[in-house]
Amino acid sequence: MSQRWVELRRREMASLLQPERVLYLVHGEKKIRSPLSQLYFCRYCSELRSLECVSHEVDSHYCPSCLENMPSAEAKLKKNRCANCFDCPCCMHTLSTRATNIPAPLPDDPTKTAMKKAYYLACGFCRWTSRDGALWGKAINKLIEYYQQLAQREKLERDRKKLARRRPFMPLAFSQHTIHVVEKYGLGTRLQRTRPGAPITSLAGLSLKEGEDQKEINIEPAQALDEVEPLPEDCYTRPINLPEGTTLRQRLLQPDFQPAGASQLHPKHKHLLIKRSLRCRKCEHNLSKPEFNPTSIKFKIQLVAVSYIPEVRIMSIPNLRFQKESQVLLTLTNPVENITHVTLVACEEGDPEDINSTAKVMVPIKELVLAGKDAAAEYDELAEPQDFQDDPDVVAFRKSNKIGFFIKVVPQREGLGDVTVSFKIRHDFRNLAAPIRPSEEGDASTEAIWLTHHVELNLGPLAP
Amino acid sequence: QAQKTNPSAKIAAGAVVCVESEIRGDVTIGPRTVVHPKARIIAEAGPIIIGEGNLIEEQALIINSYPENIMPDTEGVEPKSMTIGINNVFEVGCVSQALQIGDNNVIESKADLGRNVVLTSGCIVGACCQVNTCEVIPENTVIYGSNSMRRLQTERPQPQTLQLDFLMKILPNYHHMKKAVKVTSTPVRNQAVTH
Repeated sequence: MSQRWVELRRREMASLLQPERVLYLVHGEKKIRSPLSQLYFCRYCSELRSLECVSHEVDSHYCPSCLENMPSAEAKLKKNRCANCFDCPCCMHTLSTRATNIPAPLPDDPTKTAMKKAYYLACGFCRWTSRDGALWGKAINKLIEYYQQLAQREKLERDRKKLARRRPFMPLAFSQHTIHVVEKYGLGTRLQRTRPGAPITSLAGLSLKEGEDQKEINIEPAQALDEVEPLPEDCYTRPINLPEGTTLRQRLLQPDFQPAGASQLHPKHKHLLIKRSLRCRKCEHNLSKPEFNPTSIKFKIQLVAVSYIPEVRIMSIPNLRFQKESQVLLTLTNPVENITHVTLVACEEGDPEDINSTAKVMVPIKELVLAGKDAAAEYDELAEPQDFQDDPDVVAFRKSNKIGFFIKVVPQREGLGDVTVSFKIRHDFRNLAAPIRPSEEGDASTEAIWLTHHVELNLGPLAP
Repeated sequence: QAQKTNPSAKIAAGAVVCVESEIRGDVTIGPRTVVHPKARIIAEAGPIIIGEGNLIEEQALIINSYPENIMPDTEGVEPKSMTIGINNVFEVGCVSQALQIGDNNVIESKADLGRNVVLTSGCIVGACCQVNTCEVIPENTVIYGSNSMRRLQTERPQPQTLQLDFLMKILPNYHHMKKAVKVTSTPVRNQAVTH
């Protein structure tokens, strides 16, 4: 066996762990198929949620290099840029400050020169320094001032209208409280999302102070010219000097000036990142809420699907041949601490969710029992061996909260393309979030509800 | 201790070459050059001449090898010598097969230089960048990024004099050094014993 074969086989085994091989179906506004690691589980609705069926809200702003937290109002004022950190205009890496000693004339005595420290910015990745860039002028500030004025004027008009015609059945959107919330959080509530043509409210905050006379700024509209400057004569013959020009990405990162030459690049302040929280759209409960501190990666609320739903993973795939039955080994992991019963059901003919499968699958008929996840089990030497009667034809192995089981696959489609199978997995879920209702029989344990998920597996191509 | 004796390696006085480095073939190392342990300088298809003030870090590989389509036994193949100028830095894990390297260049970690590249002066080849074109890299070029983008720098990288001085002082404290060998002079070993 050659080394190349060993390498290919190793890569194939490693790729089985890739999450995109096993997809769970989410019933939302759109039917989304996604790996379990990227899904959330709303335990109030008892349903899977994907990133597209939750609402995203901005939690806090922070700078990715100095990790400084910034309140949202201040962030809006600074155009979502950090005051202290800079980005390299060449490669967008973070710039670091370096010092050199330059001889400079002393202020008292111009004839003597002393070594003074001069600071400059340097990039560790592409070796760009701020001494390479040129100073820039204020070309676009006039436009910005004009738009600020426009936004301010529109806001004043709206406020005037509100105060003049205050009616009791005014929709909630125009109450003072909501406006205040909107200004604090930007476009947080759905009602205030920008519609094309609506007045620009985002710039309204950055305005002149009251009492200042508003200067009328006239902007000359861009005029279309008939005559254009002719191209230089050597346009076609001059050799192109690639390092001298800027790439499109470098140019567009500075939309004010869009420098064409690399010597005109200027460092920009670093863009702030946000921490976002996710909210289920149906029950308005938070699914994911990070901590406020930028240095902390933990979550205050983290309702991810992998900690509630049993996860199916592919363990090994034999050579699949057209219309020949093969056994595929899958594993099922139980994330919760109590015993879970899982039943697998093959999809029926004409199942509307079963659109991708290219093979027939025979799943084990019996119910699979998964032990609870016991965090202390790995340290406990005297753990009692779990006593589950496992059918060796179905269950290959059992290890704490994980079992390996076989499914039989018969590929139905010949030629190129991956073999995909799908089935439904039905498991019991104990809802610990639901309030404990005093039941009449005095039964303290929470009731289990049965959840069904549609799972699709990608088993790779047919064997050649 | 068994020291790998390499009779054809010419190490100038003032060079600091660790014993754990592998030097094979006809290699000349200039003064004030530091060769770290586990660096490899292999002169297969011709001699290698390294100037002064260079810094060759661990696991760097400088190799003058045969071009791919020529077998070692082919007749009529003249040995081409590889010249490396002064004040260059070969960072950890880089591979250099370039036949001509000028001065004040920096070849960053895991960079790969092909045989037909000619580095002039003040160039910086970024980490993990592969340069195997058949061209002369202009002065003060910086090659960086996963696509090996290029740009011109206005100034050349500073020679690492501070680092060289530090290493020349500290390395002998922790490693055995290869003795300086000159072709014409008497063996240094006798001289060391008499001191």
